[in-house]
Amino acid sequence: MKLSHFSRILHIVILSFMFFTIKLFAVENIDERVKNLTLELRCMTCQNQSIYDSDAEFSNNIKKIVKNKLQKGESERDIKKFLVERYGEYILFRPLMNFSNIFLWSFPFILLIFGSFFVLIKTKRKKV
Amino acid sequence: MSSLIGFLSLVFAIGINFYLILSRYIFKFKKQRFNFSIRLSSLLTLLSFFSLMYAYVTSDFSNYNVFQNSHSDKPLIYKISGTWGNHEGSMLLWLCMLSIFSFLFSFSKNIENNFQKLTLIIQAFLHILFGLFIVFTSNPFLVNSIFVDEGLGLNPILQDPGLAVHPPILYAGYVGYSIVFSIAIAGLFQNTDDEWLYVAKKWSLISWTFLTGGIALGSYWAYYELGWGGWWFWDPVENISLMPWIAGLALVHSLIMVRGEQAIKKWIVFLSILCFSLSVFGTFLVRSGILTSVHSFAADASRGIFILLIFFIITGFGFLVFLLKEPKKSNNLNLFFINKVSALLINNILMIIATLTILLGTIYPIIIEVLYNKRISVGGPYFNSTVIPIMIPGFLLMSIAPILSWQTNKINNSKKYVLGFIILSILVLIQSYFLDFNTWGFIGLLLGFWIILASIIAIFTSYKIKLNIKFFKIINPHIAHIGVGIAIVGITCSSVFQNELDFNLIEGDEFTVNGKTVLFEKIETTNQINFQALRGKFLYDIEKNLSKKIEAGKNYYPVSKMITSEAGILHQWNKDIYFILGDQKNNEWFVKVLINPFVSFIWLGVIVMMYSGLIAVTRR
Repeated sequence: MKLSHFSRILHIVILSFMFFTIKLFAVENIDERVKNLTLELRCMTCQNQSIYDSDAEFSNNIKKIVKNKLQKGESERDIKKFLVERYGEYILFRPLMNFSNIFLWSFPFILLIFGSFFVLIKTKRKKV
Repeated sequence: MSSLIGFLSLVFAIGINFYLILSRYIFKFKKQRFNFSIRLSSLLTLLSFFSLMYAYVTSDFSNYNVFQNSHSDKPLIYKISGTWGNHEGSMLLWLCMLSIFSFLFSFSKNIENNFQKLTLIIQAFLHILFGLFIVFTSNPFLVNSIFVDEGLGLNPILQDPGLAVHPPILYAGYVGYSIVFSIAIAGLFQNTDDEWLYVAKKWSLISWTFLTGGIALGSYWAYYELGWGGWWFWDPVENISLMPWIAGLALVHSLIMVRGEQAIKKWIVFLSILCFSLSVFGTFLVRSGILTSVHSFAADASRGIFILLIFFIITGFGFLVFLLKEPKKSNNLNLFFINKVSALLINNILMIIATLTILLGTIYPIIIEVLYNKRISVGGPYFNSTVIPIMIPGFLLMSIAPILSWQTNKINNSKKYVLGFIILSILVLIQSYFLDFNTWGFIGLLLGFWIILASIIAIFTSYKIKLNIKFFKIINPHIAHIGVGIAIVGITCSSVFQNELDFNLIEGDEFTVNGKTVLFEKIETTNQINFQALRGKFLYDIEKNLSKKIEAGKNYYPVSKMITSEAGILHQWNKDIYFILGDQKNNEWFVKVLINPFVSFIWLGVIVMMYSGLIAVTRR
């Protein structure tokens, strides 16, 4: 009896994960893509505001450019590259993963690895 | 006149503090006289602060600082808050808070005499550092060299009730760590008993609660005043306040859990020094003008250098004493996978990693600019993809940590938790299937609800339910964690499931928001005391008799020639409907409507956390 309960739960979990993956790969529409991309871009004429959140002229222009380019079928990566060439890396809220930023990106995870080793070494699994 | 009184009392207060430090080595004071001097210097600093405030209230433009930052048109509340709405005044407020903390600490009982004295002497040392900083680089009592009868006005963005109280509360948090710092250093020097741990716990809880309140007020202000519908932007200044907050959280947890383990004591001293260092470092970054934001009023390199110097003195001194006077050799910790002590260890490691990551992300653009001479941004996406994943194990652990055992790795009633978790995951899965699926939304909701659920299971299975004060003190850790869970749910919903609608409307138009009809009544302009207001008036849900009015618009401040946006927000318990009035084009107004689900949960969660912070102060 207990086992059947368990397997029922397992079924539900597996089924829902299947639903999940279907949803996960669902294609986003163009406006959502514009939103996701412009959220990660800095409005150069505002103070710490993303292009998506801003109504400044600069931001509205970039929004149009991004939408145009997405409709033409350019990838997010190409658009970012284009914008960086035009305005510099300052426009990206998510710093590029290049050589000068390697420390920035790896530092938290190096610390995390060290931290977990520390915990694993220090803790005993069994009670005395 | 008031400026003169203010300046003299400021200088006298610094003098008294010099005298206090000398007193330790040259002439020995009795306790009464010592305490009297401390209190006198605090009262003088307060007097100095209030005379500046008096100058602001009476619009005394013979004071250069008042002339620069005030205007006689302003309503009274902004004349008062104008006192700290500028660099000089806010530094005086900082000093004032420092001396209030010394003042209160001089009254605390049950502390050994010498220990209290030493703590206050370290406070006096800090007072001198910041006092000299004010006198030499940011004197708010300078005389205006020309005669004028009107001032230049306060930045309109700061003219808001939320922002009027934000700085004092935030500073109470920052500066509260000074007393924790002093206690820890004094504890290192005297190394007598563990009484200082209890004292430090009380003060660090008070500071942490104030800091929480200050940060929450700041982000609530950003939410309704900046008019983008968000409340946290990973702005450098926000990061700076978050660093001592997280480190302080680690400190509070360690202080609550310590039971005489030398290793944890050492760690506590380290954290105490770190918290205050981060507070001072934050002040340096904001005040030096290296970062641009609403908070850096005026950039001046000499101030930056001076604060940097203070930062190095405090941090250097603190960590030097820590290395030289380190507590006795540590005995081994009783760690299992997983008991209370190891949970504490993991929690502290994660919090420190988060703090360091935020620190690195905040100063990295400066480093890159120095090294490569190019400007980069480290913004929200970076922090979201580093800090949040790092914190997730901590959040998971948090749900059960308070009921873990000290000695073994067994959990009582573990089956109930497992069952609860499975049912909860299925519910969240179903929810996320029918709404838009989003990975972060799924993780956030699951985590938030799991923390709440596990805490509730723990309360009901581990304690006898009684409705008295003692019971609420016992379950306080669970209450605090429920607060975090509520806030996580709010944060997730409002950021992931936010909905945006754009309209172009003419007056009299009707449109649909969230299934309800909204009427765009009219546009109205009115003249207020010191600004002109443009308001779009909306009626929400006009089919019902009890339709609600929403006003969204802009203010124009003629004195400083600035426009601020004023969002119109309809608060409901499960969502905020957020109206932003845009520009006019061919008779049509651009109106943006944001539906932010469960934003109120964030503030509710914060209030619960602050409540349990205060309860914990009273708990031994």
